[in-house]
Amino acid sequence: MAQGPAPRIADLAARIARIEGGARPDAGVIPLGVPAIDACLPGGSLGGRGLPLGRWHEVAADGMETELSAAPALFAGLAASPLARRGEAVWVFRRDDLWAPGLAGLGFPAARLVQVWARDEAEVLGVMEDALATPGVSVVFGEAGTIDLTAGRRLQLACERRGSTGFVLDRRPFGGEAKRLGPGTAAATRWRVASAPSAPPAEGVGLGAPRLAVTLERCRGGRPGAWILEAACVYGGGPGFYREASDDTHPLRLVAPLGDRQLATAGRRAA
Amino acid sequence: METVRQARRLAAVDHRAAALGLQPGQKLTDARARVPGLIVAPAEPEADAAALEALVDWCVRYSPAVAADPPDGLFLDVTGVAHLWGGEADLMADLRARLFANGLPFRLALADTPGAAWALARHGRDGTIAPPGEQAALLAPLPPAALRLEPEATAQIERLGLSRLGQLLDIPRAPLGRRFGARTLMRLDQALGRAPEALRFRRPPTPWMARLAFFEPVSAPEDMARVTQDVVAELCRRLEAGGRGARRFALAFHRVDGRALPLEAGLSLAGRDAARIARLFQPRLETVDPGFGVEAITLCAYEVEAVQALQTRIEAGETPAAEDGLTPLVDRLVNRLGADRVWRAAPMESHIPEKAVARIAAIGARTTAAPWDSRTPRPVRLFRRPEPLEGVYALLPDDPPRRFRWRGRVHDVRRAEGPERIGEDWWLRDIEDVSPVRVRDYYRVEDQDGARFWLFRAGLYADAGAPPQWWMHGVFG
Repeated sequence: MAQGPAPRIADLAARIARIEGGARPDAGVIPLGVPAIDACLPGGSLGGRGLPLGRWHEVAADGMETELSAAPALFAGLAASPLARRGEAVWVFRRDDLWAPGLAGLGFPAARLVQVWARDEAEVLGVMEDALATPGVSVVFGEAGTIDLTAGRRLQLACERRGSTGFVLDRRPFGGEAKRLGPGTAAATRWRVASAPSAPPAEGVGLGAPRLAVTLERCRGGRPGAWILEAACVYGGGPGFYREASDDTHPLRLVAPLGDRQLATAGRRAA
Repeated sequence: METVRQARRLAAVDHRAAALGLQPGQKLTDARARVPGLIVAPAEPEADAAALEALVDWCVRYSPAVAADPPDGLFLDVTGVAHLWGGEADLMADLRARLFANGLPFRLALADTPGAAWALARHGRDGTIAPPGEQAALLAPLPPAALRLEPEATAQIERLGLSRLGQLLDIPRAPLGRRFGARTLMRLDQALGRAPEALRFRRPPTPWMARLAFFEPVSAPEDMARVTQDVVAELCRRLEAGGRGARRFALAFHRVDGRALPLEAGLSLAGRDAARIARLFQPRLETVDPGFGVEAITLCAYEVEAVQALQTRIEAGETPAAEDGLTPLVDRLVNRLGADRVWRAAPMESHIPEKAVARIAAIGARTTAAPWDSRTPRPVRLFRRPEPLEGVYALLPDDPPRRFRWRGRVHDVRRAEGPERIGEDWWLRDIEDVSPVRVRDYYRVEDQDGARFWLFRAGLYADAGAPPQWWMHGVFG
């Protein structure tokens, strides 16, 4: 915190904003490190743009990935690893196929992650709420299905208690039909993530760095958009890998914006 | 009635049958001849054992150290707890009244040693309390059967005209041991306290026990919550005075009808914070059925260890240490979901993927293994059991597949990387059991949509009879 009156003024401004519009105090942001995406995300009270902290974010997927949820886990793990290094991280799931060596390969502090294997979706949400409201826990991942408005608001209240950030991976680990829900959501952002074909590596053999097709479908205080990103520094690949891991290393790199105009306008109207 | 060697015999008789001269071991036909209207029921040893177990549970209200003595007895170690009832005699009177109210036939005795108590309860006067060090005099008039020996050994002693223990005690040790065997000597020594005897207590005895008894049975949920808080506070006060904390707490509700309902809670770090421990019990109190009411509640602490005093109040404005917040969270989760559902992944030094991760306790456990090598690509999702691939099509036997079907979908492989050969841990097996079938060649492949998989081929193309099999093991995302 800076010295002087600035924090107090910011605090007062936040309180006024809360009284006036029911808006929540801004707990800061965590940039994704891709300027094109960060520009679409809301700004924090301390400057900069990025994923708002003290909120929860939804990461969905299509097709095969609704069952596997590998690309969403990759994206959430990459986006939240600076956050996980600041405090404790908890990952709640219904199917115990999360593999720590894989997370470690993303630069995620996997050995410090507390993993919780819940029995059903209600338990996932219950554990998430409990963990989000715990001091010292900075980020909580939960593999729930689509969350309705009530459960989403409860998660949001839990996030606000300590300013911790939640990631909900929309996953149906045992298959089945998706729940039909209304269009509203309490999430701060809603992402749709799929894997994308990688570019051939420089040497010409093997796989290139993993690429993700990321769509920001809904964003409070921001704009939706769609991009193709490359996770350049994972699995020891890329030039930046041997850099000291710290808060300001961001493994994601923009490859190309996606020209999905129709989706983007539809999302903007809904947001 | 039980069936022993094709003959139906009486296994047990009640008071009235005994008064008519029937005894256990008698043949059923003989008994029927003596008492034509005899009512017999088949013996149920399992039900008897279960009933004894229930009685052992119930007796925890008196002392945490209760040992079942099948088929029909139990030992209660009342060392250091009798004063809670105002003395040994009062304790026995209380136990007698309660057993009587439950309609159980019983015989009680209290002595310095389990052996002497057993002998006095079964062959002495009911309710004998042997003064410390004076059990020899009380044991002397008892028959040799009081020694807990095999029936054959007892019969041999009686055949020699020794009908009282006193006579046995008078015989010098050396001839006695030669004549009747070391076991007889051991039992005698155990009864007299000259040899130690280990009892298999139902629960490890702990001096850390708190107990609350109520004049009126309680059953309302809020009362149950309050008495739980009270008993936890009571024990935690004692733990704090002793500079100790405990990691496991066993709460038991003793109902009016004699059943004891147990609840357990664990902490990942030894603690004595009454409010926190009571809160661990709180959500499960509603699973306790108080029946007609709970008349006593006991709490035992296990895994008690020294804990230095912690500052409980954190200065306002200061952020608490991470362990401070995480530990209660993990405790809540472990108690709600079970200990096997909350873990941290720790590296294990094994190159077999399934064995590279150990699940350790989320709090307190430490590992010394080297961390995972984050430079080798490893998937984010790993299936616990590899799933078989169908329709695998590869250009050359040693090549990665060009196309495969998995979970009903066809995947065309665009790029592949590998193989990474992972052998089996042959040094853990018999040498005959080692086979190339368990050698795995892992490939990282990317399909037409960009999905990246980790699959492997088990076995080599050495044996024409057993072609290698392809498996899906993980997904990179």
